Amino acid sequence: MIHTYQIITAFMGSLGFSILFNIKGRKIGYAAFGGMLAWVIYLLGGLWLSGEMMQYFISSIIVTFYSEICARIEKTPATTFLTAAIIPLVPGRALYYTMSYAINGRFGDFAEYGSYTVSIAVAIAAGIMVASSLSRVFFALRSYEFRHHSM
Amino acid sequence: MLTKELLSYILDIGEQMLVSGAEVNRVEDSISRICKAYDARRVDVFTITSSIVVSIQLKSGNTLTQTRRILKYSTDFDKLDGLNNLSYYVCKHTPEAEYIRNEIEQIGITRLYDWVVQYLVYGMIAGSFTIFYGGDLNDVAVSAAIGMILKFAITFIQRVDKNVFFVNILCSFVVGILVFLLVRIGIGHSFDKIAIGNIMLLIPGLALTNSIRDIISGDTIAGLLRLSEAILIALSISFGFGLVSVFVGGMVK
Repeated sequence: MIHTYQIITAFMGSLGFSILFNIKGRKIGYAAFGGMLAWVIYLLGGLWLSGEMMQYFISSIIVTFYSEICARIEKTPATTFLTAAIIPLVPGRALYYTMSYAINGRFGDFAEYGSYTVSIAVAIAAGIMVASSLSRVFFALRSYEFRHHSM
Repeated sequence: MLTKELLSYILDIGEQMLVSGAEVNRVEDSISRICKAYDARRVDVFTITSSIVVSIQLKSGNTLTQTRRILKYSTDFDKLDGLNNLSYYVCKHTPEAEYIRNEIEQIGITRLYDWVVQYLVYGMIAGSFTIFYGGDLNDVAVSAAIGMILKFAITFIQRVDKNVFFVNILCSFVVGILVFLLVRIGIGHSFDKIAIGNIMLLIPGLALTNSIRDIISGDTIAGLLRLSEAILIALSISFGFGLVSVFVGGMVK
């Protein structure tokens, strides 16, 4: 049940951020759906991938591809969709626990959670890097005119 | 024909793009393409997060150089979309300087969402992420209310001082104190879930995403600058929460 709630709230969270980033019109729908997609892929990944970091990695790869494709459809920079859609993956909870352990002087837990937070951030970053580089190559091969407009 | 005036408008386009959330690569690319479209012999653009330098060599042999210092960012993807289309149009049709100025003015009239919508959205995001991380109904109500107060706090504090770190420290302090009080009274149930919902509003997601995209496209300096800014913002959020524990003595329940 918690997963259903999470998927719905991931959608709402991304929707909220797309409004804060002043995305207009049909693009809001794409961005919010991207946020939902990110979390669905993350949860599905849990079924066959070992390790949480791989889930974050795969999920951010797919979301980046998704935003690159949306960017081509809507003829607008990919950052527009990526920024809003990546939000549910951002390690807010891990960051919070890291700092609360630091404040309370529980240094063992702090070190553990700190490295956990950093590895999530690195996993997401690596996913974005891989997917962006691949889609650069892919779209560059497709056509020069397209490439100029939206990369 | 490239004149000083025209170059200044071209720089305006680049500056506005960077401010509203474009990657460095896109800014440099747009500026150099536009200048090439106006028959510059050679264009050198250097952009980092806080400044743009353009130097162009004209066919006549003269050199023009202009610089912009960027102090303030405000994410606005609608504006970025408009500027992106404008730069595409300018490359294709090379209009007069006057036309570009008018277009930039048109795009500059920001069509932000209504302030009521913005407050509601802050509440919605904070509430959503409280459910997302497993809060119950009371937590959601408290979190949404604090989200709206946070929006008020951000608006107010930005009027005093625009420094990002200062704003983040104070805002997370306000959030921490409010969450602590409401949980102590008994309206909210779990301190951590409400706090996390509101932290999601302050987290530098855009800076992180853009810094990675900058690094991939080869602008390592700009990427690292943005990355360190993101890390500093994350740190200042924790300083704000740390400040709360100074006042109330210990924060995790």
